[in-house]
Amino acid sequence: MKKLLTLLISLLLITSCASVAQKRSLKDLSNNDFSVEIPEGWWKPKHLDKYLITKDGVFLQYVLIQQRPIDRPYRNTKKKLNKGMLPQEAAGVIIDEIASDRRIYNFNVIENAPAIIDGREGFKILFTYKDKKGSIFKTLYYGFISGDSFFNLRYNAAMRYYFEKDIAAFEHILSSFKIVKDKAALKFARDL
Amino acid sequence: MKNIALIIAVCCLVAGCATSRPIPVYQTLTASEEEQMLWRRAQEEQDAIDGSGLLYQDAEIENYLNQIAEKLQTNSISADISFQIKVIKDPKLNAFALPNGVIYIHTGILARMENEAQLAALLAHEMTHCTHRHSLKTLRNIKDRTQAKSATVRELAQLLGITGSIASINGYTRELETEADRVGLDLAVKANYDPNEVLKLFELLKQENEIEGVEEPYFLGTHPKVQQRIENVKRWLAENNRGKIKGSKNTIKFQSRMSRLMLENARLDLRQGKFFIAQSTVKKYLSVNPDDAQAYFLLGEIFRQRGWKNDAAAAINNYEKSISLNPSFAESHKAMGLIHYKDGEKRRAKKYFESCLLLSPNTADKAYIQGYLKLCAANGEG
Repeated sequence: MKKLLTLLISLLLITSCASVAQKRSLKDLSNNDFSVEIPEGWWKPKHLDKYLITKDGVFLQYVLIQQRPIDRPYRNTKKKLNKGMLPQEAAGVIIDEIASDRRIYNFNVIENAPAIIDGREGFKILFTYKDKKGSIFKTLYYGFISGDSFFNLRYNAAMRYYFEKDIAAFEHILSSFKIVKDKAALKFARDL
Repeated sequence: MKNIALIIAVCCLVAGCATSRPIPVYQTLTASEEEQMLWRRAQEEQDAIDGSGLLYQDAEIENYLNQIAEKLQTNSISADISFQIKVIKDPKLNAFALPNGVIYIHTGILARMENEAQLAALLAHEMTHCTHRHSLKTLRNIKDRTQAKSATVRELAQLLGITGSIASINGYTRELETEADRVGLDLAVKANYDPNEVLKLFELLKQENEIEGVEEPYFLGTHPKVQQRIENVKRWLAENNRGKIKGSKNTIKFQSRMSRLMLENARLDLRQGKFFIAQSTVKKYLSVNPDDAQAYFLLGEIFRQRGWKNDAAAAINNYEKSISLNPSFAESHKAMGLIHYKDGEKRRAKKYFESCLLLSPNTADKAYIQGYLKLCAANGEG
């Protein structure tokens, strides 16, 4: 009886600490047509197949960088992005996509404005939302269209404490963001 | 011992999903405890929904809906349940009842209805889920199955009430839905509503689902599919010889009450890119409110955002109509500016952007508009 209890309590502890035991590295970040500088202390959760990094765990803060084909459909809106869109129109599609997501409560756009990312015209949206459990998050979302791709960089964090704590790190990532136009040429230059 | 092991095993599972809260374990449930647990769970659901910002706040509509529910309840088997009807801002064609008598109806399904008789049939259906304790039956069914074989994680969770009341949101078994249809139609007829109207509603919803290619939502519903629900209603009408009996529809009263809600729902449909449905809803609204500047603006937005051939011209027509009806409606000025700006007509764009900022100096898109105006000036349109 005692042994079984000990075993089960150990199992409880192991399960609870699973995320802590995860190896913290930037390995497995997928190759894309962009490069960024990642500040010290940020790592990629192994189980996520995305360009996503965090410092204290994804529920507290993360930076997600995506390059998605411009015509790829969204989950919650049938609207699509297109090459001829103004940044304002692209921001409108993204806001509609997020606002239509039923997992997101109390969605509130604080700011929607033009932005320059890697010298390209884009947009930035600052918004807050609540999840079903009542936790409040704040997100800063930058996006722009380039060729057949839509690039976006978003910083999502618990509104209380964490958003302000790591906003500077995100700004560093954002300012270092570069589209690598010819990856092969870049690699060759590095090898030289 | 078995109990302790189960408690700890469940704790492990809960800890594994870091976002879940600990769940109380009820090993020897009596009927009342089961129901109390369902009601507690329902209250949690209700709190989450009510605090989500998704409720459509309109006291007049809520009163109207609750009055119809009261009328239906007069002939219900459980006159003691205190029903409360609320509306959720969601364009999906859905409605659901929590076991504690709180019924949520989506704006999507209300906007598609034509009269009070259709609404009464839907309400009576949902009320039957409560009066006939369909959540409790679902929970007991899960419990029986769990005891009959080795429990899976999901079933354990269900047994503990995690999804017990959510069955009311996701739909019940085919048998329970059929019972809700049958009893609901009885209630609607006893309250003097025309039962034939529900058939028209189902046909309309089926047609719209096919046009938009959407998954059939619950009310239509998952159990059974919409066609089977249509057959249910047809069978009920034949068995009860109701095809020839006409009850009340209250079409005009219904449409005047739902008017603003329809426009709000068209906005939600547009947000989801359901251009066809949004367009038909706005047109339906305009047939009752022909001088509404906001509705013409919305129609313009539908065309502009859809962007098909000739849509830009149709958008401009609707924006112009909107401005003619209400010259100070800033949104239409902004949209006109945008459409001309994209078309390279910077002079016209500038005029509309300036009037937009004049009418609404703190408009949400102010930073974009200021940027466009700078570019217009740089292009010699200053």
